[in-house]
Amino acid sequence: MTYMAIPNIGNYTIALATAVESLGIKAWASTATTPEALKLGIGAAPETVCLPLKAHLGHFIEADRAGVEYAFMVNSVGTCRLRYYRHMIGHILKDLGLKIKIFGLGFDGFKPPIVRHFDPGPITFLKPLFHTALKIKVIDKLEVAAWRTRAIEITHGDTTLLMNKLLVELSESKTMARTRAIRKKVAGCFAEIPVDKEKKPLKVGLVGEISFLRDKCLNKNIEYILGSQGVELRNFFLLGEELKNITRIVFLNQNKRKYLSKVADRYLQCTVGGHALDSVAHSIHCADEGYDGMIHVCPSGCMPEVSVRPILKRVSKDKDFPILEMSYDEHTCGGGIATRLEAFADVLMERRKKQLPRPSRGEGN
Amino acid sequence: MFFYYIYPDLWEAFFSELGMEPVVSGPSTKKTVEKASQISETEHCLPNKLFDAHLAELVGKVDMVFVPRVLSTIKNHLSCPKFGPLPDAARADIARGTEVLSIDLDETRRPLSKTLLLLGKKLNIQKSKTLPAIKSAFSAMESANKKMVMLNKKKGKPRFLLIGHPYIIHDNFIAGPILSKLENMGVEVELISFADDTPATSYILWGTANKIYHKLNTLSSEDYEGVIQITVFNCGCDSMMIDTYRQLVKDKNVAYMYLMVDEHLAQAGVDTRIEAFIDSLRWRK
Repeated sequence: MTYMAIPNIGNYTIALATAVESLGIKAWASTATTPEALKLGIGAAPETVCLPLKAHLGHFIEADRAGVEYAFMVNSVGTCRLRYYRHMIGHILKDLGLKIKIFGLGFDGFKPPIVRHFDPGPITFLKPLFHTALKIKVIDKLEVAAWRTRAIEITHGDTTLLMNKLLVELSESKTMARTRAIRKKVAGCFAEIPVDKEKKPLKVGLVGEISFLRDKCLNKNIEYILGSQGVELRNFFLLGEELKNITRIVFLNQNKRKYLSKVADRYLQCTVGGHALDSVAHSIHCADEGYDGMIHVCPSGCMPEVSVRPILKRVSKDKDFPILEMSYDEHTCGGGIATRLEAFADVLMERRKKQLPRPSRGEGN
Repeated sequence: MFFYYIYPDLWEAFFSELGMEPVVSGPSTKKTVEKASQISETEHCLPNKLFDAHLAELVGKVDMVFVPRVLSTIKNHLSCPKFGPLPDAARADIARGTEVLSIDLDETRRPLSKTLLLLGKKLNIQKSKTLPAIKSAFSAMESANKKMVMLNKKKGKPRFLLIGHPYIIHDNFIAGPILSKLENMGVEVELISFADDTPATSYILWGTANKIYHKLNTLSSEDYEGVIQITVFNCGCDSMMIDTYRQLVKDKNVAYMYLMVDEHLAQAGVDTRIEAFIDSLRWRK
């Protein structure tokens, strides 16, 4: 059996693994970067590149050691460093003398090189892709349900256990019918968890760089830490939503980005690159929606996200809305992050108790 | 400050022709850097911090600060994504209370002359007045560029090539100590010029990076003895490109060194690195 290593994008890696089957091969993947992979990546990459590159690189080196022949890396069409990831990773892997062959999604002619290389039949190619889309939808649903339940669960860890169980089921699901069955039972399963219905959890939005929003190892399990503090989180990166946006732009010309840039217009009049515009727009949006706070995560020195920080500070001052800026590097340890997050949650709780005068929706403008 | 050096003399000529008095912030010094580290976002790259300090120097002295939104300086290329939100960041933080004049500088969408025309429109100046201003601005830029080319032509062979972003190699604080040391040692140095034609397209879309890439691609070991790159701490573009540059230069059999500058630049460290580099090259002969 031929294997292909794919990059980590958190729980969505499960869905991507299904997509790889469309090429008639199997995926080599994990839902979180392992610490060993990170160490390998840090050792091999130039010191000043951003952390996600090191994580992906380490993952591919690990794959090569496991005997994997191919790797896949996403292309980005943006302005930030992500655009050059594949090129750079390819170079470094070659320098290291590794045999792993890396593919992108580029087009040259009718078929992308990756499809031409494996040359699967049309049915083997298309069926898993539909399955992937379905799985992405299920994972979106799981994530949303998990944020809600985790904040109000009575026994800590129930939600995470259930989530892990369902994710394993999902990754083992081979047919669309089974995946559909899982989708149906998601709501019921989460409803069975004993919750404290009286509790009014803090509502906090999470924005920033995508690898850090999704990878549990890189963001030191930020969703779990906050959830167990009784914080209802809203992570603004859902792959399903993101893909829906892209298809809408292509086929229906309905651009959510246009809406976002309208929201952010007073503070930022350019798309910057990466998810910087989204960060600003969602922060403004959450401030108006009555969220309790916002957390902005990015790797240290991230080009787009760091450059909008002064703007986020202004938003925070203008709207009287707390925004915690977290930046991660190689030396970030889980304990430090947990302390900061707990302190932030405590501050938000005190703030709520004191009922500080907050501009309600529509007034503050 | 960022793209002041790509368009030498252009802005002064343009604004003074329009009847305004352009005030340019002074060269970066130790004091600028101290100020920068106090007022700027901690994780910015050094030029971005310096930009903030320069801006703070101007605020209060002038009626209006000009911060262009530089999206691309070469057709079909992009600039570093950090330039995009600069005017917004300026409005949000340091230049708050001062009017910030801004214009999208996007060569991919429209040429520079049209951008200047739009800028005139933004300032409520008649087209008949803007057009001659544009003309004189361009001629000022051309003569400045010619001067630089002449300077480079005079230099003997083999010489050293100094590469880096325009706002790095022309900055007094970042490149100043390095240039003066090289001059003291009697080494002939050519600064990379960003004025010549559009480089061939490659997989690199960042304009300045591609220009450097192009220059290094056409490098010959007869003309150049070594390449020195100046880069700054936390520069995103350079962090991706340094390895590519090094490989390219190595293939041409030319020596390569890069110097990374941060806020704590000390002359002694720079001196040691440069002396060692030059000496080892001389011994090789």
